[in-house]
Amino acid sequence: MTETKTFKDRVAASLKNFGLPRLIITGFLVLLLILAPFVGADLPTQISNIINRFSWNGILVLAMVPMVHSGCGLNFGLPLGIISGLLGATLSIEFGFTGRLSFLMAILIATPFALVFGTLYGWLLNKIKGGEMMIATYVGFSSVSLMCMMWLLLPYHSPNMVWGLAGKGLRTTISLEGYYNQALAGIGQINIGNISIPTGTLLFFALLAFGIWAFLHTKTGTAMTAVGSNPVFARAAGINVDKIRMLSVVMSTWLAAIGILVYEQGFGFIQLYMAPFYMALPAVSAILIGGASVNKATIMNVIIGTILFQGIVTMTPTVMNNMIHMDMSEVIRIIASMGMILFALTRKTEASR
Amino acid sequence: MRSKRQLLFRAGALLIVLAIAACMFVIGRGHTVYFDNKTAEYNGQEYEAFHKVVVTVDGEQVAKLGKRDRGMADTMGQNFVMTLEITDEKGSQPHSHKVSMPLPYSMDGIIINIPELMAGLPAEAYMSEFIITPVEESESSDELETDEFGIGGDV
Amino acid sequence: MKAGSNKYTTSEKKPTAIGMILRQASVPLMFIIICAFCIPIAGLSPSYLANEIVTRMGRNSFLILSLLIPIMAGMGLNFGMTLGAMAGEIGLILVSDWQIVGIPGMVLAAIISIPISILLGIFCGKILNKAKGREMITSYIMSFFINGIYQLVVLYLMGSVIPIKHSSIKLPRGYGIRNTVSLLRMRQKLDNLIAINVSGIKIPVMTFIIIGILCLFIIWFRKTKLGQDMRAVGQDMEVARDAGIDVERTRIISIVMSTVLAGIGMIIYLQNMGNIATYSSHSQIGMFCIAALLVGGASVDRASIGNVFLGVILFHTMFIVAPRAGAYITGDSMIGEYFRVFVSYAVITVALVMYETNKRRAKSESSRELRAQQDADEARAAGKGNV
Repeated sequence: MTETKTFKDRVAASLKNFGLPRLIITGFLVLLLILAPFVGADLPTQISNIINRFSWNGILVLAMVPMVHSGCGLNFGLPLGIISGLLGATLSIEFGFTGRLSFLMAILIATPFALVFGTLYGWLLNKIKGGEMMIATYVGFSSVSLMCMMWLLLPYHSPNMVWGLAGKGLRTTISLEGYYNQALAGIGQINIGNISIPTGTLLFFALLAFGIWAFLHTKTGTAMTAVGSNPVFARAAGINVDKIRMLSVVMSTWLAAIGILVYEQGFGFIQLYMAPFYMALPAVSAILIGGASVNKATIMNVIIGTILFQGIVTMTPTVMNNMIHMDMSEVIRIIASMGMILFALTRKTEASR
Repeated sequence: MRSKRQLLFRAGALLIVLAIAACMFVIGRGHTVYFDNKTAEYNGQEYEAFHKVVVTVDGEQVAKLGKRDRGMADTMGQNFVMTLEITDEKGSQPHSHKVSMPLPYSMDGIIINIPELMAGLPAEAYMSEFIITPVEESESSDELETDEFGIGGDV
Repeated sequence: MKAGSNKYTTSEKKPTAIGMILRQASVPLMFIIICAFCIPIAGLSPSYLANEIVTRMGRNSFLILSLLIPIMAGMGLNFGMTLGAMAGEIGLILVSDWQIVGIPGMVLAAIISIPISILLGIFCGKILNKAKGREMITSYIMSFFINGIYQLVVLYLMGSVIPIKHSSIKLPRGYGIRNTVSLLRMRQKLDNLIAINVSGIKIPVMTFIIIGILCLFIIWFRKTKLGQDMRAVGQDMEVARDAGIDVERTRIISIVMSTVLAGIGMIIYLQNMGNIATYSSHSQIGMFCIAALLVGGASVDRASIGNVFLGVILFHTMFIVAPRAGAYITGDSMIGEYFRVFVSYAVITVALVMYETNKRRAKSESSRELRAQQDADEARAAGKGNV
């Protein structure tokens, strides 16, 4: 069958596979990169920014992969994992850990939370196969708003985190100065001119990405892919579908928890309350821009997607400002990322559940 | 046959809607009318301000003007009707006048000089446009209470 | 053959208990309990509370009613109603620049919003037709996408391409609309047109008459050919298609109707508020209305006019009393604020979970029946073959 296809057909097919929105977004970024030197934007700084932001966000995007693989769809419930990470972060500081150790402790403390939340979340998603994405969205929202109350009520006392006047209730943003600010980025940082490369963070991302890649090639990993691509077949082959799905959700949640910690160490602040609310959307659109679909995602999609998405986020404001003195970056970002998600949702997928 | 009739109906409905819209443009145009009780000069002649003017619009007393006072009223539509109760000198008997006038569509704020109006001068004499000097305010002061959540994330 | 069919029946799990516990009436009941608990603590006077609730009923009912038609057509909760709200806002912004005030201003804003709503509705409907089975998440993302377009229009095109005359609504930089647009001269004009005062409670009769007309329209619409078609599509798309109904078209019409109604509803909502928060008024309106509808006992596939009114009353009572009750209990006013946010989202989550579990159960039951039927047929056929 495939031999009868002409070259032209194949180009057309791959183009169709690539998708028009993705083509537009990639073209747009290339255009920005070409324009940047002409409008007086400093290209090395820009590239440095992109690399930095990639290192912050990479793991959050990576957190999409396990759930997509097991057929749970895009993880709109990312905020739940982020909450686990925030609990780890705040508790680590509360217990008095400082410096790089506080980062390690944050990860260690966040892990049990992520496991518990992920298990509950996975149990729920197993009950409602087919409607995962909408419910995931609202699980995320509910958990964020529940935690808003908790941040106020939980007995935190560390003076660096609570409101100075009241002596209780966590602040909306907590500086990580003295804690794990640049904990990873500072390791083996390379500075060449205007470019600074956060080697540590990139290595950490590479480590986790490799871990996921390797996992997907183990027996359990291939079972996960099987569950995602054809649950009926997987069940017939004796795979415990619910268990595998649960595992994928727990993995996604844990990766989200780690992801937010890595993000914070780069950004330098912990953001609480409503901050995690919409954090799923950039991650979702990033992986989709990278070439993933609702039920197919690879590590390559994560890397390409994060670079493209963060590229647009960092490049648009400067280039736009220098060119037409109008900062339309916000609007462009919303339209591009939401358009990408919409496009992905309208694609026919082989197995919807 | 049926489709032709359907088309006709649709065109008719569209026309009616457009007519309503046009109608709204006319009857819904809002103006702010300011009345001055100020001595004014027109063609070399002076028109003395009254001692006191009470302005009533739509049965509601909107202003009580002494000399050199200014009052205002919000109106809707192209025709403006007001009742003026004028006291010429201190202690004299007030006399009442009902005045109606068309308002120019293009003006948002209109100043009417009452002494000139009462002297029966043409519209261009007693009417002038009120130009609001834009007040510079910081954007942050625009925040206001709604019944929605006072908190929200950013996309 | 036998072994295969056995395997099917054993691997099919029994319906779980969660759906059983959370029955339909449970959500309104829970809210009645929350309200009953919070009202005495909040310590608001009954007349104030009644006044607030009546005001909010007038303000929100129309918007919530706009959700009913897509539910009828089986498209779930229309998060895309935000699209209509944005169209309504554009109408109001233009009208307030043209200084058309009062009721005529509202009518004109509605007339402007309708074609925008229709276009957005057709676009949304077409996209949703391509995403059957995940309409809700798609319409949800759609609302963000169109919000981007809305910002593009309002923040960059208005004043530069679309003429905006008055500096009172324009940003100082010369284009774009300010964060708030005052509707002072339209404020509560509809509510006050016929307003009666019953022992200190102001009742906006005219607004309620308009809401009543919409209710009658919805009741009438259900009985029309189109309404029946929509219900058929909502029941089963394939059956409807076999019956000769143009499923795609019917679905698009239902979304268009919802969007147009939402646009008008938004105008009614904003005339009561008296100002437009240009970039945020619409962003939460969809979630609000959906939460209120669900609180009234509606589900994703079934909602009635009764649900709308019960929902408005319960949801908004909670909304009014929660911050005060929260402040009284914990001494922090933000707790109540966050509490009502949490409750709104939790209600939607619970309703969605209930809907999905019920749907799954119905699906597995019907497929089990079908399988039993097939097995019986096969057995019969095999028996005949043996003879």
